[in-house]
Amino acid sequence: MTTNTGTEAAVKQSNNEVSTAQQESNARAQSLELTPAADIHETKDGAVIYIDLPGVSKDSLDINMDSDVLTIKGGVNLNTPDDLNPTYMDVHAGFYSRKFTLSSELDSAKIDANLKNGVLQLEIPRSEKHKPRKIEVKVA
Amino acid sequence: MISNMLRFSPSFFEGFDEVLAPEFARLTRESSRTRAYPQVNMGVTDKSVEVYLFTPGLEASELDVSIEKNLLSVSGERTKDDLDKNAINRRERFVGKFKRTVALPEDVDPDQTEAVYRDGVLHISVAKKAEVQPCQIEVKV
Repeated sequence: MTTNTGTEAAVKQSNNEVSTAQQESNARAQSLELTPAADIHETKDGAVIYIDLPGVSKDSLDINMDSDVLTIKGGVNLNTPDDLNPTYMDVHAGFYSRKFTLSSELDSAKIDANLKNGVLQLEIPRSEKHKPRKIEVKVA
Repeated sequence: MISNMLRFSPSFFEGFDEVLAPEFARLTRESSRTRAYPQVNMGVTDKSVEVYLFTPGLEASELDVSIEKNLLSVSGERTKDDLDKNAINRRERFVGKFKRTVALPEDVDPDQTEAVYRDGVLHISVAKKAEVQPCQIEVKV
């Protein structure tokens, strides 16, 4: 018996929950933010999230948990020379931002974060009472 | 069309026209997930050509960098994370082999190239040939 087969996902992208009007005003306010690519894997033990944050060092990374919303923000620092004159750019913004809504099944107090080679790995365990368990049947 | 124009915008991390800003934000939001891997930023200084390749999730030893006839090529492979087969997965991040080639200006000296991989960004600096670098000429009295 597992608890992760239900229709409701334990990790949701918050972006889908805001209305279009709000989204537009947000877009205006955060016009130079990038949405980093992320992978979400859910197992019976919890969720693992990988987020591509190239150019973000440990010091410029900010992970914040507010009620059930997990916010990841990171500034890009390329240490470019002062007299650099750009000739071609795929990456225009200098800032990544992404939000995830965590289900109450996950224990947000025990998030484990690991940043390596520009990839952030977040491990969020399922809270004990939501972990699948075996129920022993006693013979009467 | 607008996307193409923005790609060649000459300003690094600078503010944008008010009218374009929302449209730009929409483009960058979508594009960061759908664009080719790796993304590249390039620029020139008086003395060098600087190339930044956004290649997160690799080790420096897994990146293959070469210059041939003023074409700089970077290749490598991103592998899938080894995870529980029963996991529910949603994937946006690039997986597989990649190769990106950029044309360098004619006036560079490929023998003087430095490559540094830090925080998932490969920074390649190619020096310009000595004769094209600006130099101060002293005026004698």
